[in-house]
Amino acid sequence: MNAKLSTIGTLSLGLLACGLLMSAAHGAEGDWKRGRVYYQRVCTDCHKAKTGAPVAPNSRTIADWTAYLNADKHAKGTESLKKYVSKEYRASIKASNKAAEKYADVPDEQLFNDVKAFMLKGAKDGDSPASCS
Amino acid sequence: MRTGIFMLALAASILFAPGAHSASDPATDKLLKSTSDHTKFKALQQDFASGPEVTKACLGCHTEAAKQIHKTEHWKWEYTSPEGQLLGKKNVINNFCTSVASNEAACNSCHVGYGWKDDSFDFTSEVSVDCLVCHDTTGNYRKPAGLAGNVVTRDMEFPPGSGKILKAIDLKKIAQSVAKTSRDTCGACHFYGGGGDGVKHGDMDSSLAAPEKELDVHMDALGLNFSCATCHMTKGHQVPGSRYAPTAQDKGGARVRGKEYKTNPTTCQSCHGQAPHKKIAKLNDHTDKVACQTCHVPTYARGGVATKLSWDWSTAGKMGPDGKPLTKKDAKGHVIYTAAKGDFVLGENVVPEYLWFNGRVRYTLQRDKVEKSSYPTRINHFEGSARDGKSLIWPVKIMRGKQAYDPVNKTLAVLHMAGNDDTAFWTNFNWEKAVATGMASVGTPFSGKVDFLETESSWPLTHMVAPAKDALRCHQCHKANGRLEKVPDIYIPGRASDHAAWLDSAGWALALLTLLGVLGHGLGRVLVTMRKK
Repeated sequence: MNAKLSTIGTLSLGLLACGLLMSAAHGAEGDWKRGRVYYQRVCTDCHKAKTGAPVAPNSRTIADWTAYLNADKHAKGTESLKKYVSKEYRASIKASNKAAEKYADVPDEQLFNDVKAFMLKGAKDGDSPASCS
Repeated sequence: MRTGIFMLALAASILFAPGAHSASDPATDKLLKSTSDHTKFKALQQDFASGPEVTKACLGCHTEAAKQIHKTEHWKWEYTSPEGQLLGKKNVINNFCTSVASNEAACNSCHVGYGWKDDSFDFTSEVSVDCLVCHDTTGNYRKPAGLAGNVVTRDMEFPPGSGKILKAIDLKKIAQSVAKTSRDTCGACHFYGGGGDGVKHGDMDSSLAAPEKELDVHMDALGLNFSCATCHMTKGHQVPGSRYAPTAQDKGGARVRGKEYKTNPTTCQSCHGQAPHKKIAKLNDHTDKVACQTCHVPTYARGGVATKLSWDWSTAGKMGPDGKPLTKKDAKGHVIYTAAKGDFVLGENVVPEYLWFNGRVRYTLQRDKVEKSSYPTRINHFEGSARDGKSLIWPVKIMRGKQAYDPVNKTLAVLHMAGNDDTAFWTNFNWEKAVATGMASVGTPFSGKVDFLETESSWPLTHMVAPAKDALRCHQCHKANGRLEKVPDIYIPGRASDHAAWLDSAGWALALLTLLGVLGHGLGRVLVTMRKK
């Protein structure tokens, strides 16, 4: 009886671990091309409009961007960075932003990883340093 | 309880698994795009030390791919025109960096092969075909200039002694990620023609990698999102739509699925047919004389990347006060002079020039005789006329320049620019040495003297197609000094050169006479009526 319970428990935990691992692996793989479009049409456009100074991916190193993205702080720490890739945010601007409209249904985590993939790839020391445009 | 734990775990695994995402997640997108996952091929699960090693692995499955590539212009860099001229990058001279000959190691980073550094390159080698340059999806594939099209698989200093480090690329990851071509892969070379972003064509630059609708209605990254191959429909690796064999006028209709066509699929008509304007049908009356691009590519270099409009080699070689090669920039930060290349004029949002074009292009080749005169030498000449029944009015970029030639033998100079040897112009700034090496590389006599003559080359504009709302309006041509003012042999109502004062006077006189007649007739009627009363 105990052995059977143990087998089922092990199988269950194995399944759970498998699912979580698959999720983590999947989450780590971003679509840099989609990230590029979102970065250019949402992040850059907003920065241009509100601050006049967009931030180019190649203005920071991979380490800088990784730390920044992990910290999840935007506007000098006053708000969450992830808010700006959330479905709620996209819904709020989709009437005037085609990228937000097109990617309205992309899961938050996935879109965040897409943008992250573009930023790390485009970093100063990344595989393909990228400017704002 | 046990069942509960199991179900919970199962639910969690499904919830967090990739398949739970909507169809917009990359894994599902990838699955639906291809029946092959290249990460699963054993041949690609190895560390590659060179490009040819990857190709060997690719050919293990794609057995005929290299043979197909061997038949393409992308491989041969050679094309014989219907007029019998031997063209292609290998043979033509342009008025940008002038020619490939003697500069192979630098220029051939854009060849779809590995190792073409001189005439000894084996054009029959299958493993020398570069599959990745067209099929990379990571965006990380690089073929640095100077390495004859080879890739870097271990960090290296290049040029030797420069202190500049070329980073290695991960060939295994790139090989496992291959897929169809994209704007990024084609653009890696075609956006950078002429030695830099947007330099050569004017209608192709890096802004087309992920363009907005206003820049190109077809390639709009959030709309139709065409890749290059959507129009340049490739068969057996043969890419149609080369500028060496342009189609100036397509009299065919929109293509139908399932039907076989032998004509160029890149024309506007192959999708839009002969009467594309539904709302303003009058516009369809123009399509027998005016190329679609004339109205729908209103300006070029619209994406924020400047294109070169002129290049004066004769001023190259100046040193700055510090004794180092001089560089000058304009207010926008564009480089407008370098000691290595001379003076440039750059432009953005440039209005095209317009000419009759029937699809035939005649080139001035290296052995053709040229004369210094008050007229520029045409490096290439777009043929056409209003009367040949084959020409349309096309928008073009005219590149103007001043380039080296041999004033004694009267031939355009082949310039050896790049290299670490003593004769390369970019190393020693000595024209005579550089031209001597260049001419020797193609077996052309060189007198030892170098002079400069003015040249022009024409480039058809066909990308950067604006949405209908931004196309040219009627008044932009139908007015004095409008867009088509200088196009000969056609009557265009409204333009200055078609304006005849005597015809206007005669017309107004007729109108006045008509008015007088009507008034006279009316007056007569009134008078007759009054008399009857």
